[in-house]
Amino acid sequence: MYNNRIPDLNRRAFMKRAAAIAGLGAAAPIALNLASVGEAAAMDATDYKAIVCCFFYGGNDYANTVIPYDLPNYDLYSAIRGGASGRQRGGVALGHSELDGTVLTTLTPQTLTNDIRYALAPELTGVASLFNTGHAAIQLNVGPLVVPLTLAQYQSNSKAYPQPPKLFSHNDQSSIWQSLGSEGATVGWGGRMGDLAMASNGQSLMTCISASGNAVFVSGNDTLQYQISTDGAVPIWPAKGWVFGSSETSTLLKQLITEPRSHVMENAFNVVTKRSMDMEAIVNAALDPVTLTTHFDQTNDFAKQFEIVARLIAARNALGTKRQVFFVSIGGFDNHDGLMTNHPKLMATFNSAITSFYNATVELGVANKVTTFTASDFGRTLAYNGDGSDHGWGSHHFVIGGAVKGGQFYGTAPHISLETDDQVGQGRLLPSTAVDQMAATLGRWFGLSGSEITSVLPNIGNFATANLGFMG
Amino acid sequence: MEFQDTRPVAHPENRDEPVVSPQAVPAADSVQSSPLPGLGLLGALSVALAACGGGGGGSGGGSTGGGTTPTPVNYNYAPADAARFLLQAQFAFKDSDLAALNAKGYDGWLTAQFDTPANQTGVAWMNAQGHNIPTSDGNYFGSSPGDFMIWHALMTDTDQLRKRCALAVSEMMVASLNPFGGWWPSYVIAGYWDTLNAHVFGNFRTLLEQITLTPAVGAFLNTAGNLKEDPATGREPDENYAREVMQLFTIGLYELNIDGTPKTDLLGNKKETYTQSDISNLARVFTGYDWDWSKVTWTNVSWLDYDVPSTEFATSPMAFNADNHSMLEVKFLGVTIPANTPGPDALKIALDTLFNHPNVGPFFGRQMIQRLVTSNPSPAYVSRVAAKFNDNGSGVRGDLKAVWRAILLDDEARTLPTNNTAGKLREPMIRLAQFARTFDVYSTNGKWEIYDLSGSGWGIGQSPLRSPSVFNFFRPGYVPPQTAIAANGDVAPEFQLHNETTVAGFINFFTSVMQDGYGDVKPDYTAMMPNISNSQALLDWMNLHLSANQVSPATIALIKAAIDVHPIDASSTDFNKRDRICNCILLLMSCPEYLIQK
Repeated sequence: MYNNRIPDLNRRAFMKRAAAIAGLGAAAPIALNLASVGEAAAMDATDYKAIVCCFFYGGNDYANTVIPYDLPNYDLYSAIRGGASGRQRGGVALGHSELDGTVLTTLTPQTLTNDIRYALAPELTGVASLFNTGHAAIQLNVGPLVVPLTLAQYQSNSKAYPQPPKLFSHNDQSSIWQSLGSEGATVGWGGRMGDLAMASNGQSLMTCISASGNAVFVSGNDTLQYQISTDGAVPIWPAKGWVFGSSETSTLLKQLITEPRSHVMENAFNVVTKRSMDMEAIVNAALDPVTLTTHFDQTNDFAKQFEIVARLIAARNALGTKRQVFFVSIGGFDNHDGLMTNHPKLMATFNSAITSFYNATVELGVANKVTTFTASDFGRTLAYNGDGSDHGWGSHHFVIGGAVKGGQFYGTAPHISLETDDQVGQGRLLPSTAVDQMAATLGRWFGLSGSEITSVLPNIGNFATANLGFMG
Repeated sequence: MEFQDTRPVAHPENRDEPVVSPQAVPAADSVQSSPLPGLGLLGALSVALAACGGGGGGSGGGSTGGGTTPTPVNYNYAPADAARFLLQAQFAFKDSDLAALNAKGYDGWLTAQFDTPANQTGVAWMNAQGHNIPTSDGNYFGSSPGDFMIWHALMTDTDQLRKRCALAVSEMMVASLNPFGGWWPSYVIAGYWDTLNAHVFGNFRTLLEQITLTPAVGAFLNTAGNLKEDPATGREPDENYAREVMQLFTIGLYELNIDGTPKTDLLGNKKETYTQSDISNLARVFTGYDWDWSKVTWTNVSWLDYDVPSTEFATSPMAFNADNHSMLEVKFLGVTIPANTPGPDALKIALDTLFNHPNVGPFFGRQMIQRLVTSNPSPAYVSRVAAKFNDNGSGVRGDLKAVWRAILLDDEARTLPTNNTAGKLREPMIRLAQFARTFDVYSTNGKWEIYDLSGSGWGIGQSPLRSPSVFNFFRPGYVPPQTAIAANGDVAPEFQLHNETTVAGFINFFTSVMQDGYGDVKPDYTAMMPNISNSQALLDWMNLHLSANQVSPATIALIKAAIDVHPIDASSTDFNKRDRICNCILLLMSCPEYLIQK
């Protein structure tokens, strides 16, 4: 049964944990009593951890992101994608020699389907380097699932084998990746993890933060998304004491835009405005002293999103935060057309941003406290439509950070084929790993107990394992 | 099913529309027969509405014929009611609009608006500005004139109802200027905007076809250059438009009842309208199209080693090339288009199929209600609008005039809600257009150089015709988390744009615009000057024009008290007078009673 409404387990878990902490007494060194506190343990540790969701809106073309490099598999890829003879680029296939600079080498030997070896998109030099040095892993063919599915089960359309709703649809699949529910869901799994972590933080609003627009990923049952601009919190200047020759207007403005209202929409509007004003001074005061020497490309909004995340992490002590969930995003991945022009630019942007971000976490001494994962609406077809690809399902994704057991592939590599039973037509991958499993693996690292993971990811029990291993 | 553009038709009986009060009907002997009996003509008669927006109990009676010697009319709507109507149907209003509304009545006013020729097209305006002349700074690759064009239209065009409705449709059948590359992006988006305006008072079927063939939609949703399958290489037709035309432009994801609620089976499961197979099949119909370069002339310019095309391709429907069109059989939504059906015929069958799907009325109607009136219309309201979509009363499906009329004249639109949940958040771009019109903005040089205002930290977080994706700026089903809206099971689409950054960015930006304008575009507060020393009169005027008096007397009293700390009289400086006006506007247009339009 597909369930996108979460029972109130996490609230209960929160209460239980709060009671356990209270029982320790003020003098108890919490970190020394982790094991005895049970569910309260990890999430209330004194260390810092952050998960960063890096979302590619539009559906990333997996096949030109993680690309077959060994010749037999490359040739299959090139044939399907319209590559030119002599292993030159053509159609939407990259040329083989273009991949020479981004070949992936696992830290320990790994044998994948049909002995496939991979390279990354030519622009992902920094990501390839992170992989090859063990700081990045690749989760192969992951996507929304309710239960594990074989092709025959998928094609049966039987209620015994439930499928995620509205496969191949942008808005629904991006919602499912973020919340496990289709469009209209109001609680994301990042937000649910935030619910469990919120009590660890001095400022609860600093738990779940979007440096992009409103995103369901960072909305919890209790945790609110806090939205921040790439330049930090934006003050509402006219409400800060004086405007148009009048302090009275400024004072009244602040009252009118923040006061509680009986009309629910008016109130909902003012609640956000009040939050904006309340947090602005706190956040900017904490950000002010932060200096990062790591360079972020200032012409690139995506890099600037990562930069403000890095700056907030740098301000973690001033803000009193121990556990944070961040959301950054970049659009433009829906390349039905112009794939060979547009996708490389997006890959270059991603490479620049994530490389700077990883370097910043090293600079801040938190490389092994911050884990970034990529996500996207869906993968795309392996088949091409002229100069692009169409909506798919499963995709390959990156997990990046010092705590990642990197230099390794996780999951099952799909065949390079339009025919095999690991895809549902035109190379739309049938996921062999569920988003829930990827989330559970991150959640375990973040500090969630087994029951907390179940509360956040109620379908996790449908899958063979809640730990894919990429976090050690 | 046949369809046709209809002329303004006799108004059929409709219990939701204003009815003529019996005592006002002229005596029978003074009535001549008329080929077009109806309220449109009755607007010229001495009639009165049974009640402002009420009239729900009537059973029609509108077909009383035309009069010969109409006596002067005044519907005498309460100002707040008239203003409320005008702020749903337009961006802003002038006192002359109030007079026209009182003279014609809601229904007659709509008829007059429908009959008003469209203003100058966006393309014509840009041409008059000289934007079609290639310049060495590469304007042929620039998109900014498209921004100037749309802001100018939203802020100044006099055919406001048409523009307001076209903007609403632009948020459902989305094409966005953002990703356009190549030649003349500003003309490509203007061609789309002009197409919307040309057909927004016509028939939905025509609108759907014309929008489908715009170069803008072709570029945005990849039908431009879409090629048939190629078994030799494995190439497949592009599926993007096939998917989005169903999911977003016409029928949506789930089968709907006429009231917009999803149909469910006995277990409560919703029924999906289409499958991936429907998409892959329909995709074949949309192959073979591309931008039409046949009317273009190419100009040699000194600074380039290639020629620059003229802009006609951007305003011509896409051209069809049979060589690139799939001739495979198409099976979708239960319809089979036989193999080897010529492309234009296949397109007709496909669009007819979508147009005649029972979802279109409630799917389109509900979203248009959301844009113009309220975020959470009752199922009955949706049902009444959808019924008008399905049959305008004369057997015509898809008559958009009937739809706009049904939306704006419905009881639920015309009755001020008294609960604490109804209404909608005013969109930022509409707030800015309203400000501009209410306070007489003008251009110092005629250029109207207002750029993309999508910036969130400085800007309004939204810019017309610049949706971030085909999913519009916000989704019709968006629910702001952890709010009473969510707890009530309601939606609030525009809240998807509202967050800690955008609210600050808007107020800061707007404060600057109030004071200094934006570039060459400046407000003119001259009309405020007669009331400048009378703060109550000033605020009353603004409250009516900005919110239809929906800002409460209590809030107005607070604002007055704050304003009155700084008395103004005729001898005050212009600077101080302007400050008073800006303080009033800032407080009114920032307060939640204004922001939530009821």
